[in-house]
Amino acid sequence: MSERAILVRGAGVSKRFGGILANDSVEFAVEEGDLIGLIGPNGSGKTTLINILTGHLRPDGGEVMLRGHSTGGQAAHVYAVMGVARTFQITQLFSRMTVLENLLVPGLTRPNSTRAEATRRARGYLEFLNLAHLEQLDAKNLSGGQQKLLELGRCLMLEPAVLFLDEPFAGVHPQLRDELIKRIQELHNGGRTFVVVDHDMESILRISKRLVVMARGRKIADGLPEVVRTDQTVLSAYAGL
Amino acid sequence: MRHLHVYVLMALAALALFFAPGMNQYWMHVAIMAMIYSILTSSWSLLAGYAGLFSLGHMAFASIGGYTSALLVKWFGIPIPLGIAAAIAMCFVLGAFIGWVCLRMSGPYLAIFTLGFAEIIRIAFSTEDDITGGMAGLHTEPIFADTTRLPYFYAAFALLALSLLLMGLLVRSRWGLFLRALREDEQAAAACGVAVARFRILAFAIASSFAGLAGGFYAHYIGVLTPGIGALDYMALLVVMTVIGGMERLPTAVGGAIAIEFLLELLRGSYRWDVPLLGITVHYDPQWRLPFFGIILLLTMRFARNGLMTPLWLQFMRLGEARAASAAVPVVREEDSRA
Amino acid sequence: MSWDYLFIQVSNGLVVGVIYSLIAVGVTLIYSILKIVNFAHGDLYMLGGYCAYYAIALLGAPPLLAMLVSMAVLFLLAIVLERLLLTPLYSDRTERKDEYGLLVTFGLAFFLRNAAIIAFGPFPLKPPSFVDGITEIGDLRILNDRIFAAGVGILLILALLYFMHRTIWGQALDAVSQSRDSAAIVGINPRRFNSLAFGVGAALAAGAGALIAPIFSLAPDMGVLANINAYVIVILGGMGSVFGSALGGIVIGEAESLFTAFFPDETRAFAYTNAFGVLVLMLVLIFRPNGFFGRRHLRME
Repeated sequence: MSERAILVRGAGVSKRFGGILANDSVEFAVEEGDLIGLIGPNGSGKTTLINILTGHLRPDGGEVMLRGHSTGGQAAHVYAVMGVARTFQITQLFSRMTVLENLLVPGLTRPNSTRAEATRRARGYLEFLNLAHLEQLDAKNLSGGQQKLLELGRCLMLEPAVLFLDEPFAGVHPQLRDELIKRIQELHNGGRTFVVVDHDMESILRISKRLVVMARGRKIADGLPEVVRTDQTVLSAYAGL
Repeated sequence: MRHLHVYVLMALAALALFFAPGMNQYWMHVAIMAMIYSILTSSWSLLAGYAGLFSLGHMAFASIGGYTSALLVKWFGIPIPLGIAAAIAMCFVLGAFIGWVCLRMSGPYLAIFTLGFAEIIRIAFSTEDDITGGMAGLHTEPIFADTTRLPYFYAAFALLALSLLLMGLLVRSRWGLFLRALREDEQAAAACGVAVARFRILAFAIASSFAGLAGGFYAHYIGVLTPGIGALDYMALLVVMTVIGGMERLPTAVGGAIAIEFLLELLRGSYRWDVPLLGITVHYDPQWRLPFFGIILLLTMRFARNGLMTPLWLQFMRLGEARAASAAVPVVREEDSRA
Repeated sequence: MSWDYLFIQVSNGLVVGVIYSLIAVGVTLIYSILKIVNFAHGDLYMLGGYCAYYAIALLGAPPLLAMLVSMAVLFLLAIVLERLLLTPLYSDRTERKDEYGLLVTFGLAFFLRNAAIIAFGPFPLKPPSFVDGITEIGDLRILNDRIFAAGVGILLILALLYFMHRTIWGQALDAVSQSRDSAAIVGINPRRFNSLAFGVGAALAAGAGALIAPIFSLAPDMGVLANINAYVIVILGGMGSVFGSALGGIVIGEAESLFTAFFPDETRAFAYTNAFGVLVLMLVLIFRPNGFFGRRHLRME
């Protein structure tokens, strides 16, 4: 068994909103090369966990560690610069900036980046995502599907070690969904690590190498998809809705 | 040819400088004020139009800059350029502080807070009149001993050109991209690695230092400084100028300042107009010019939100490009970026 | 300091506080329903005062009627302004609605303030009293107008609360202020509610202006400070609670009066009184960037 690096680790992460315990002592480790599907009924705390693991929320208890070093409550942009990228449930692009500019922003936050180099990389990713012809268009003029691809592109510009995708398949028509899945798999084969949150079970099961299930703020299962699918606790969690 | 619009502007500038000595003093004063306002509107557009931070405290910084320079010169006899430099430094630090304090405030809350800040400054300057001279005014050292305004004209021009150059460099750099990203979506910007807090503070600090520059120059130009310049009335005028011109670009913000300042002066006289067909006489009272611009502002917001000068400016930028536009591959046009 | 002086300050604080409440409640209502901060609210208060003045001066109306007239006029004016200027807030095509609301109401305030200077002249005007004379309690003398203003003001606030909790339209208004979506589901036309909210808010401000006019006089820039104090109160109340704003107004009014009473330097006390509200405001925003109580800050998406 090879020792793979643990890129992101949530150790005993807890978060409370008012009276609700959104995350309850969650242990979550992302190893290099993983493609994790994170699922669970609505309100199980998945997005909260993602927010915490990417630095957008500070946990009330526990800590987040990147490559073994505790982040110590740093701001979200530090995570991004350290290689933790994420997309949002509802795409949050820079609407009135062009497609290229959207990619230049993350491109230029990397240390020692130059405009020329960032532009080159951006164009490369635009080709990969089939968006090259839209380079000068304002992001708000893209179709929904193109926007999701662009958001993925923004992540890639950070040359991230881990990508957290929050409901990438939500409201996406089958053709685009297949395109997205293809891209994710290509990138994964190229060495990127993914954590994908979604409700689209079919897609998740298609791509995941490992399945993590959450319910009511707790992690209730974590392992190979075939095993987790038949786990009693998981089934009752979903059935109990 | 590319950059044709730049050459045209430079030519116009050269003409203005060349013919300046022949201008009459009154209009020269208007031009100087227009240039001071231009520094203020363009720096405000950095904050509001680029970074999305609607600070209503911008004129308060101009006021702080003015008093800082005036008082330092008065008490310690330092040369005026040093006084103005101190004003800039003071506003940079104070601006950064306000930016830091406002970090977690959004939109209207930020506006209200900075409005409050401006009010406190005004009240403090007004009340502590043993220091500031209060409402009676503080007499300042003039920069030039000349009896004409001509040197002030050239100085204002130089300061405006320098300010626009610096701000322009900022806006075209990656920092410009980051500021715009802040306005679009702060959370997404953070997710892209933009140090949100740092840039918000920086935006405030930089914009406020330009306000301090304008205030400091104004103080030693106008001769008498009163707390009123930090008041809401002047801030409102700044907003009016910037929004009508176009708050998302530096050139349009400057255009708004110049156009409205000149129009304000042109509209200062009262006119009577006998309408031929209807047999009535229309009286124009100069007092109406401010409400008039208020209406223009409302119309602009309602129907041409990115400013009245923006379409003109965009067309102007395309002056030399009729032939380049036929290229099949879209060219990354730097001119289209917000500079 | 004497008890008499303190009593005077406290009672003045009540009067001022009630006026603040009326204004703040309007700002809260507008914010809850239209989701914008109305930067022109203080100027609607100013217009209300002048409207009452002219109703008395030109139409010979008795003061109380004039107040009601000004409330009605401002109600209608507000609806017109809302239709003219604020409809882009309801369209999906408008981006950055926060900014739009801010700039448009700011522009409106600028226009109203400057137009008022021309229309009404820059010098303070004082309408006749609602109730002439002075009431004496022991050694103390209180202007009847102050008692009247406080009393009628409280009645207006109670009337609003009654309206919002006991009448259909009012309850609907309350519902919409909590959640736009719930209103649409129940079949209420949200647009009508926006107009209603803006109108009611303006009417209350107008009433406040009419009530305060005989006491402090009218000036075209009286709205500026009123605005700031309204923001203090509303932010303290979290921008969502009508009742909280009403209460907050009185608290701030009293606090301001007591601040003046206890301020060490007598000569500066008055000037810094105006700054009191602002200082409180800034402190609150520093520690609670989104306000204290009331409903959570809902962003217009």
